Amino acid sequence: MTAPPIVHSPGPERIAQSGLTAFARFCERETGRRFGDYRALFEFSVSEYPRFWQLFLKWADPLIEGDPEPACRGTECESAEFFPGLRLSYAENLLRKLGPDDDQRPAITALDETGGVIRFTRGELRARVKRLASALSRLGLAEGDRVVAMARNTADSIVACLAATSLGAIWSSTAPDFGTESTLSRFKQLEPTLLFAHPAYAYHGVRRGITDRISEVVAALPSLKHVVLLEPVTEGVAPPAAPFETLDHLMAATTPPTDPSWPRFGFNHPLFILFSSGTTGAPKCIVHGAGGTLLEHLKEHRLHTDLGPADKLYFHTSCGWMMWNWLVSALASGTEIVLYDGSVSFPEPDALLKVMASEGVTVFGTSAAYLQYCKDARLEPKETVPMPRLRAIQSTGSILWDSQYDWILEHLKPGVSIQSISGGTDIIGCFALGNPNLPVYRGESQCVSLGLDVQAMTADGPVRTGTGELVCRNPFPSRPLGLFGDPGGTRFHEAYFSQYPGMWTHGDFLQLTDRGTARILGRSDGTLNVRGVRIGPAEIYQIVLGIPGVLEAMAVEQTAPREPGGSRLVLLVVLAAGTTLDRPLTLRIKRELSQRASSNHVPSVIVQVSALPTTHSGKRSERAARDVLNGKEIVNLGALKNPECLDELRRDPALRVEGGPGDDVAKASG
Amino acid sequence: MSAAAVRKAVVDWLDDNYHFGDAERLIGSDDRSFLENGILDSLGFVKLVLYLEDTYKITIDRNQLSPRNFDSLGLIVKYVTEHPKFRAPM
Repeated sequence: MTAPPIVHSPGPERIAQSGLTAFARFCERETGRRFGDYRALFEFSVSEYPRFWQLFLKWADPLIEGDPEPACRGTECESAEFFPGLRLSYAENLLRKLGPDDDQRPAITALDETGGVIRFTRGELRARVKRLASALSRLGLAEGDRVVAMARNTADSIVACLAATSLGAIWSSTAPDFGTESTLSRFKQLEPTLLFAHPAYAYHGVRRGITDRISEVVAALPSLKHVVLLEPVTEGVAPPAAPFETLDHLMAATTPPTDPSWPRFGFNHPLFILFSSGTTGAPKCIVHGAGGTLLEHLKEHRLHTDLGPADKLYFHTSCGWMMWNWLVSALASGTEIVLYDGSVSFPEPDALLKVMASEGVTVFGTSAAYLQYCKDARLEPKETVPMPRLRAIQSTGSILWDSQYDWILEHLKPGVSIQSISGGTDIIGCFALGNPNLPVYRGESQCVSLGLDVQAMTADGPVRTGTGELVCRNPFPSRPLGLFGDPGGTRFHEAYFSQYPGMWTHGDFLQLTDRGTARILGRSDGTLNVRGVRIGPAEIYQIVLGIPGVLEAMAVEQTAPREPGGSRLVLLVVLAAGTTLDRPLTLRIKRELSQRASSNHVPSVIVQVSALPTTHSGKRSERAARDVLNGKEIVNLGALKNPECLDELRRDPALRVEGGPGDDVAKASG
Repeated sequence: MSAAAVRKAVVDWLDDNYHFGDAERLIGSDDRSFLENGILDSLGFVKLVLYLEDTYKITIDRNQLSPRNFDSLGLIVKYVTEHPKFRAPM
């Protein structure tokens, strides 16, 4: 395998000062062994993972109590339990005093598109979280209660999250632009007792109230005891129909607590519930534990991203994506986090880049879709908004194409470290990451995450070098505790462990090179990734199949190099006899998906077909349709009872993409 | 290049990508600002520029674009129909 060009190399000084180097030396002292390079440390971290996690716990030194033995109970990835004898508080660890001047050190800078700025020091943030926690306790919020939020990416959303989880409640949030149905398909399963919500949000200069949606959500959640608005209802927005309190009022009515201690809970106490929508059924409610989340994030931040108190981290996210939780956890490393709420291109096309520059962000987390926008808009940040403090750019959500590495280095910042990172909601972390000690090869993630035995499943079994389905062979602390509402673990097993027994199967294809680098190649299951956002086709089907005249539907992701994120969403529909996919029906399908789910659920192309590829057992084969649309060989064509329907897809000009692989196949077969 | 054809293409594109049948109503009149009225944001403008370049095989100079010459349906139609490619030879 020929190595792609190296586009960044860390200097010896940088390597000598990195957290990863310090940790490697620590491990050498503790074990008496030599870890001369990352490969050696990685081998140790997966072959002796209980020892590795124990050493990392000792080095990172989170606030814990109890017995760190055993590091891991059990050896099966599906059921192993890390640090069953430890207790901790996630919020306490994020807000702990890291030195005598900690109270004055910056914690959060929250900006919005209107130019609004809120800054909290660590002392202010700690006090605000404590005070809200006291208020929530007074409302009766208790350990294990579910707290849900329809929240914007603001400082008080983080305050609400940390206050709720400090009491042992479980936090789950969506963004305010989620439709009512999408929100309820998630929250209804949780039977929450408290809802936080922003009554309105601004996007690209337009303010939109969502109190009507809040009212609908509250009406459909009988378990709710309290609704807390994170901001007062402003002029022009009707108050929600349900009784509510405002955060300001709740805080004002609460005496600041004087007890500096935080209640601690078991290492595997549930902390967050994240959602993942698949090809069938309601979204999965993935439960993540406090200790596993904290430990994994500390590892990713301090070792792989080399974050510390001198850093300012921005990651572009909403409260509906796991990167928000990941960003919040960076407080535990003493890092200041920067939030931005609103349109990245308002009031000027380079608005977000200007924020990165003016705030002196050192690590800028973004997406391939945003970088594509910058390129298409012909932005020249290197000239117009220089960022002298920026040292690394991280990208996740979808594949960062080789040419985008070039664009970053030529037009954004020469010499910057480019870290293509990949993992997901399911593990609230990453399998492929950056590395302060290693070079960056064009188009590749620098390394596999320490402690995670990631391999590629090939026809010959799992391999450390090769291409195949991403599997993880060993237990890891951020493996979810399970799925909410799945007490026997049946759905959990089916989702992650049924394909290859004993191994976590993630649903991605990847390539692992002999240089230790990784390249994510796309989804391996029916899940879609549109403009960097993961979409479950089941949510699309639920809406589309309710439209009169639509009998069947199949959503497929098609590679489209010119689209933001490098792919587009294609919807195939089978219609009732006599119904034609005319323009009004096309627009109605798009409109309903936009209004009832989100703009990310709207397909770029809708095509009427006579039949969908179906297996002999009657199961729809999204994979067959996807392979045809992406010009790939159809695996196991014999399993289809109607392979002739694939020719219809090959012939349809609307399904050809300029420059895409499907284009070549269409031309060859046409 | 007829102004009516360009106008229809832009409205159809807005419907296909953002407003799903509601574009004409939102636009109201052809001199209404897209940005100020939430009809299109600047990410959307970039997509629209790419679409116009693809559809009419023209090159649009990003440095020349400003709200003054591109922020309403009328201005966009004017920009395209008066593009050097479509101007009658002198």
